[in-house]
Amino acid sequence: MKGSLWLAWRQQRVLVGCGAAVLVAAAALAAHFRSGMLDALRGGLFDHCAPGPLYCTRPSDGLPMFLDIEPLKLLGALNIALPVLIGMFWGAPLLGRDRELGTHRMVLAQGVSRAQWFTSRLALAALGTVAVSGTLAWLFHWWWEPAADRSYGLFWYETTALSGSGPSTVAAALFGLAVGTLAGLLARRVLAAMAWTLSVTAATAFLVQWLHRSRLLVPPHRYVSQGTRPKPPMGDKWSTGNYGLITASGRREPVLNCPYPSGPELKECMARHGYVARFYEANPAGDYWTVQWYDTALLGGLALVLTAATVVLLRRRV
Amino acid sequence: MTGPDEPAALSATGLGFRYRARGGWALRDCGFTVPRGRITALVGRNGAGKSTLLHLAGGLLRPAEGEIRALDSVPGTASARSRVALVTQDKPLYPRFTVADTLRMGARLNSRWDPAVPERVVREGGIAPGARVGELSPGQRTRVALALALGKRPELLLLDEPLADLDPVVRGEVMATLMTEAAERELSIVLSSHVLPELEETCDWVLLLRDGRVGLSEDTGTLREDHLLVTGHADGAAALAGHDVVHRRTHGRQLTALLRPRGPLDGDWHVTHPGLEEILLGHLRGAEALAGDLKEAA
Repeated sequence: MKGSLWLAWRQQRVLVGCGAAVLVAAAALAAHFRSGMLDALRGGLFDHCAPGPLYCTRPSDGLPMFLDIEPLKLLGALNIALPVLIGMFWGAPLLGRDRELGTHRMVLAQGVSRAQWFTSRLALAALGTVAVSGTLAWLFHWWWEPAADRSYGLFWYETTALSGSGPSTVAAALFGLAVGTLAGLLARRVLAAMAWTLSVTAATAFLVQWLHRSRLLVPPHRYVSQGTRPKPPMGDKWSTGNYGLITASGRREPVLNCPYPSGPELKECMARHGYVARFYEANPAGDYWTVQWYDTALLGGLALVLTAATVVLLRRRV
Repeated sequence: MTGPDEPAALSATGLGFRYRARGGWALRDCGFTVPRGRITALVGRNGAGKSTLLHLAGGLLRPAEGEIRALDSVPGTASARSRVALVTQDKPLYPRFTVADTLRMGARLNSRWDPAVPERVVREGGIAPGARVGELSPGQRTRVALALALGKRPELLLLDEPLADLDPVVRGEVMATLMTEAAERELSIVLSSHVLPELEETCDWVLLLRDGRVGLSEDTGTLREDHLLVTGHADGAAALAGHDVVHRRTHGRQLTALLRPRGPLDGDWHVTHPGLEEILLGHLRGAEALAGDLKEAA
């Protein structure tokens, strides 16, 4: 086992070095921009802002105010792209390079078994993947926290936060690695394996985004309130944009039948139509973790299934 | 001949393999025993199954049916892996490793590694340890692949076409290296080759494959003694009926036949003792005629 680990290290040390360099650069940038963000917050500019999703405006000229979160969003985008990058550059050559050169025949003719050879290199690659994706996800979270769920910051349901942080980032990166590894085994050419990995991981990323937007896995909660009382504020909830009115029989009708925010007009209109309550649909902020765990289970499960398939096919094909 | 009790370098019973479940058989019904301490020539035409047999013996492939044993252990098991070395035809090596790295890899991946032998093999080829494998000539690469195989101190060395793409001078050097190693310690070698004349001087056992089946598995001395090359008038062909005719060729009225006589030869024949190359060629060509006969019969 020691020998095959040495070989795995010898062949992956460049990738490990690249991963470490990315981490150092990301950490430096995160520390720099986060301290700038903290300074802006400490300056008291945003103290008057309400916690809701509506833009906070500058008292002097009425323009909306934002923290500088573009670099944070870039880190989120990098985290979302991790499965593609790790799959193409770490997963695809993992077996694909040996398949292309035929060198697995030379290695397997030495004193190591197929299982040792594969386990060593996959273990090192998986360790690297977890280290890189875990650290980047943690960095995002650390950087994001002061600006989390603020109109001048980044809400939890925005793509870069929902998919670019948390345990699902690690699961997605491992999924990318598993796709690349299997593609390398099947395609026998690194370039072809990279192309396959790109299409599969990118398609999966879009599918996951669609699952989030459609809220199929984590359905929204329906918030109901009497027309006579103010409705519970949207706050940091993720609105579906679906508002409406409810009749005495429980039927839901479009909000445009009584397009008044509150007051006597609303009361009068609701009485005229026979509405007894208002509602809106949204995911509460706690659903960040529900979505995270769903994604982690889905992508992590797929990673396990693909790795199992790789092990089975490895016995037949190599 | 060898009995079943004698330890074998390589043996098989009912061995069969096909590359895809629905494809044709690359090897079928192969049974043979190669004794230890021999230098065996694995001979056959293209597609006869030589590489497949060596891959099976080296544990890179698993038999579809029957069994194969290398040094009396199942190929691919820890016991076989530590004692059997295999150099495949393409001699794959990591092109970006240096020669020294490649040998270091051998030391790490094998439980018993003798650094002296591979270092000598590489040095004799005039190869700098710091050179990248990808920048070596084919001959030098073959040397490095051989060094890697010899460094693990194998008891059985399997070589698939080790001499292909080498010039005659290097070919001689490589063979000399191999012969030295074989002579200095208990080493059995099985090497496949198209270059029949090279085998004549070096090999003392022949394993001949034709169309995925074993045609010969015999001592070369016995083969030389048993075979006769006879030339005579075509009308006298009937006199050969009682003997095992390996191959025959008629040229006008003249008949030339390679045969294994069973008892004294009748008739007026010019008789010579053929060389190993002629015997092997006869067996390889004879297979064609045999296959033709079978097709007609079917």
